[in-house]
Amino acid sequence: MSVKIKGFCCNYTASVGVEALKEAGLVPEDFDMVRLPCTGRLEVQDLLEAFEKGADAVFVAGCMIDTCHNMSGSKRAAKRVGYAKKIIQELGMDQGLVEMFFVGRGETGPVVEAVREMVSRAEAADS
Amino acid sequence: MYCPKVVVDTYNERLDITSATHIDYAQAIPASYYIDAKECLRLNYETCNLCAQTCTAKAIDFSQKPKKLKLDVGAVVLTPGFGKVDDSVLEKFGYGKYPDVVTSYEFERLTCASGPTEGHVVRLSDHREPKKIAFLQCVGSRDETCGNGYCSTVCCMYALKEASVAKEHDPDLDVTIFFMDVRTQGKGFDEARKRAVEKYGINVVRARVPRVDEIDGRLGLTWVTDDGKSHSGIFDMVVLSVGLDAPEDAQKIADIAKIELNNYEFCQTTPGQPLATSRDGIYVAGAFQGPKDIPESVTQASGVAAMASELLAEGRNTRTVTLTYPDEDTALEAEEPRIGVFVCHCGVNIAGTVDVKAVRDYAGTLPNVVLYEDTLYSCSQDALKTIAGKIKENRLNRVVIAACSPRTHEPLFQETLRSVGLNPALIEMANIRDQCAWVHAQEPEAATEKSKDLVRMAAAKARLLEPLEQPTVDVTPSALVIGGGASGMGAALSIAEQGYKCVLVEKSDKLGGNLARLTWTMDGQDAAKVLKDLTSRVKKNKNIEVLLETEVEAISGYVGNFSTTVSREGKTEIINHGVVVLATGGKEYKPNTYLYGENNRVLTQLELEQKLKRGKSFLKGANNIVMIQCVGSRGDDMSHCSKLCCTQAVKNALKLKEAKPDATVYILYRDIRTFGFYEDLYREARKQGVQFIRYTLDRKPEVLKAGRGIKVRVYDSLIGEDIDIPANLLVLSTGIAPGENEALAKIIKAPLTSDGFFLEAHAKLRPVEVAVDGVYLCGLAHGPKSLEECMAQAKAAAAKAVIPLAKGRVAVAPIVSRVNQDTCIGCGICESLCPFKAIEIVKVGKKRKAQTITASCKGCGICASHCPTLAISMGGFTDDAIMAQIHAFAGDNCGEEA
Repeated sequence: MSVKIKGFCCNYTASVGVEALKEAGLVPEDFDMVRLPCTGRLEVQDLLEAFEKGADAVFVAGCMIDTCHNMSGSKRAAKRVGYAKKIIQELGMDQGLVEMFFVGRGETGPVVEAVREMVSRAEAADS
Repeated sequence: MYCPKVVVDTYNERLDITSATHIDYAQAIPASYYIDAKECLRLNYETCNLCAQTCTAKAIDFSQKPKKLKLDVGAVVLTPGFGKVDDSVLEKFGYGKYPDVVTSYEFERLTCASGPTEGHVVRLSDHREPKKIAFLQCVGSRDETCGNGYCSTVCCMYALKEASVAKEHDPDLDVTIFFMDVRTQGKGFDEARKRAVEKYGINVVRARVPRVDEIDGRLGLTWVTDDGKSHSGIFDMVVLSVGLDAPEDAQKIADIAKIELNNYEFCQTTPGQPLATSRDGIYVAGAFQGPKDIPESVTQASGVAAMASELLAEGRNTRTVTLTYPDEDTALEAEEPRIGVFVCHCGVNIAGTVDVKAVRDYAGTLPNVVLYEDTLYSCSQDALKTIAGKIKENRLNRVVIAACSPRTHEPLFQETLRSVGLNPALIEMANIRDQCAWVHAQEPEAATEKSKDLVRMAAAKARLLEPLEQPTVDVTPSALVIGGGASGMGAALSIAEQGYKCVLVEKSDKLGGNLARLTWTMDGQDAAKVLKDLTSRVKKNKNIEVLLETEVEAISGYVGNFSTTVSREGKTEIINHGVVVLATGGKEYKPNTYLYGENNRVLTQLELEQKLKRGKSFLKGANNIVMIQCVGSRGDDMSHCSKLCCTQAVKNALKLKEAKPDATVYILYRDIRTFGFYEDLYREARKQGVQFIRYTLDRKPEVLKAGRGIKVRVYDSLIGEDIDIPANLLVLSTGIAPGENEALAKIIKAPLTSDGFFLEAHAKLRPVEVAVDGVYLCGLAHGPKSLEECMAQAKAAAAKAVIPLAKGRVAVAPIVSRVNQDTCIGCGICESLCPFKAIEIVKVGKKRKAQTITASCKGCGICASHCPTLAISMGGFTDDAIMAQIHAFAGDNCGEEA
C-alpha cells in the first residue's frame, strides 16, 4: 500500500515544481506539497490537519536557519514542528512522522530526499 | 604509440587522454606528431628518450632549441580567434559542481564521431545516455554581470546544430533549447533553424533559466514564460551555450601591435573599414574583430589578404622562385609500358598488418612490371629522391605507388614524375593503407591478399595511362565589376589598388547604390561621408573605368578570357576581361500592407532616416512612434531574415529619442537580432525607454485607420491583452529583397538561392566565389547584410578575383573531358547538363559537335557518363583503363581482355 506524504515548503526552497518531479518519477504520485510564502507562516494546526486529511507523514522544508529569507521564519517553523511532534506522540503516533528539514536556497534535491525519508518512516510505522 | 607520458587531451575538452607525443586532431595541419614540451619526460627530466630511439625515420631531434626570429614584413594580419568565457561565469549554472552540466564545446566533442565517446552522447557522471537534454543560451553573452554585454552571434545556430546532431544520433532524445531571442540571422540560417525545429522536433522555449539544481543525480530547471507562468522540468543533461570571449591575451596583442581595442577587448574597427585596425598596415580578420561564424571569418580572411596585397602591390613577384622541370621524355612515354611498383611500409601503418614484401614480390609477376621495390616511407624527402633515381635508372614510364590516399599524396608523387621528365598523369596509386591495413587490421592475411588485388588493378590501369596535356591559358589582366554600390566600389578599388585594371559597370546614372539612401551607418556615423570617400577614390583611381547607365547584356568566355557585351546609351560595347565580380546589390522591400503608400504617416526605415536628416520638424506632435519589424522578411513575402533591420530600427529609435526625448517609441518585434556589438544599441534603447513588444506570427499587429490618424493594435503577451497604440508615425522595417538577379544569373550560369540571391560555391570554404570559375560575389547580391560586412566581402571578392590576374596564366586541370568529334552526334545533352558551362556545341563544317572548354572544365564526368555515343572520355579515367581495372579485379589475366 502506498503511503501519503504531505510537505510544506517556502518560496525559497524546492524551486522545481512537484508536477515535474512526479513526471520524472523522483517522488511518489501520492506526494503533495504546499508552497507558502514562508514556513514561519505555518501553524501547528496546519500540520495536524494534514494528518487529519489522510497524510501518513508530514514534513516542512524551510530555509537554512542562518539564511532564512525572513530572518527567523524557519526557526519558528522548526519550533512548531517540535510542538506537533509532542502532540502526535501524545496521540500515540511515532513522533518521527512529522519532521523539519533545512534546505539551501532554491535546492530541490534535499526536498526529494526528505520525501523519501518520510516515505520510509511512514512505511516503518505502518508495518 | 611508445610515449609513456599520459596527458589530458585539451583538444577533446579534457574529456579524454592522449600522450605527450600526439597530433591534436585528425585534420590538424601539418598532420605530423609533435611533442608537448610541458609534459615530455625527456625535455623536463632528461629521462625516457623512447620516441627518439624508436622512430625509424629518425625524425625526432631533441637538440633543437627555441629560436627568436626577426622577420621583415610589409603587413601584419591579426587572427588570434576568440577566447573562452571564464569558468566562474558558468558556475551559477552548476558547471564544475554537477558533472552533467557541460559546455557546448564539451558537447561538441561528445557528438563528434572521432571524439572521446565516438559520437555517443553520454552523461559524464554515469556514462549513460541521457533522455532529456536542455540547452541554455546566452551563457557569458548578453550578460553585463560577467562583462560581456555583446551577443556572441553564433551560439543560437550552433546550439541548433548540436541539438540536431544529437537527435540524429538518438531520435528519441528530448531536446529543449532555452533562449531569449533566436538569432539565426545569417544567410540561409533562418531556414535551417525552421528545418531543424520541424524535422527533429526540438522544443524551443523563450525563457531565461536562472540556475540549475541537482536532484538525485538529475538536473532540475525552473523558468518563467512570457505569460508570467512558472514552469519546471527535470533533465538528464544541461548544455551551456557558452559565448565567444575576446582572446585571453588580447591586451598583450594590442600592446605589442600598438592597436586599439573596443570596450570588450576585441579589436576596434569601423563599419567602412572593418578589416583595418587603428594602425596602418596591421589588419584583422575573424572573431578577434567581433564574434562571428565560419563563413564570415573565411570571407574576412580573404579580405585581409586583399588589404595586404594592396599595400604590397609593388612588391608582387619580386621574391618568388619559379620551379622548372626538365622537358618531357615523350619518346620514353610512347614505348611499351615499363611499370615500376613501389610498395610502402608507411612505418608500421601498412607493414604492421600487410605483408609488404609479399605484395612487392607479387607485383613482380604482373605484366610489364620491370621494377618492384618496397620503401619505408615513400613520401619522405629522401625516399622521393630514391624513387626519382630509380625511375631514371630503369627508364620507367609508368609508376604504381601502393601506399595511402591519392587525395593527400598523389600531387607529391606527380611532382616526382615531373622532376624526371615524365608526365604526371602516368602514375596510379593503390590505397593499401586505408583500404587494407586499416580496415582489415584484424585479418592480416586477407589484407595482404586484398593489397595484391589492388596492386594488380592499379598496374592494369597504369598500362593504359596516357600522358595528359597540361594546358595553360593566358589571362586578360583586368576585371569587370558589375554594380556601382558600396560593395562594387569596394571591390573595384581593391582590385585597382592591387595593380589591375578594372571596369565598373553601373546601370543607374550615379555611383552609390543603397549606400546613397542610407543616412547613418550602424554605429551612427554619417553614411554620406563613407560614400563620398568611396566615390572620390574610385573616380581618382586611374585603374578604374566607370561606366554609368550601362547594362550587361551577355558574357561569354571563361576564366581568364571573358568577353562581355554591355549596352550604353543605346549602343553596345564589348569589354574583354579576365574575371567578373558580381556586386549587383539588393533593394529595399516595398510592402503593400500596413497602409504603406496609402497614409503619409507610414514610412520605411530608410525613409525615416532621410526625413530625420532633413530636420526634426516633422516630429512635431509625434508623441507615439511605432515601428514594426519583419515586414516582408521571415515569412510574409520573403522567407529570409534581412539581418540588419533590427539594428537599423534600434539605431533609428535612438535617433528619434535624441531628436524628441518625450516621444514614446514602440518597437514591435519577433526576435530582436542585434547580434555582435549591436547588442549595446539594443540595451541603450531599452535604457532610453524604447518600448519593445513582441508579437507572434499568429497574432501579427494590425494597423487601423482612426479618424485622420492611425492606430496599431498588438497583442501584448506580458499582460495577455490587445493594446491599441495611437501612432503619429508608423515605421516599417521592410527588409532587403534581392535585385533583378535572374537575367544575370542566366547569362553567367550562376545559380540563385530560393530567395533569389546569388549562391556561393560553398558557404564556408568558398563564400565569395560562384560555382563558375572566374566569377566572384559580394554585397547584397549575396544576401542581406550590413555595410560593414559588405565592405569585408568586397575586399574578399577582390582578393579572389586578383588570383588569376596575378598568375597571368590559368592552369587547367589535366583531368578534363575530351570529345571525340568523329563519334559525337551533336545532340547537346552534355551542354545542357554541364554545371560549369564548360562544354558547348559548335559548328564543325556543317555539323553540330560538342567541344570542351578545358579552362572551365572541373572533370566531374557528368558529360561522359551521359554521352549516348560514348564520344566523351575523361583524362586519366578512360573507359578502357577503368574496364582493364575491373577485369584485373576479376583476375582476368591481369587486365588483358579475355
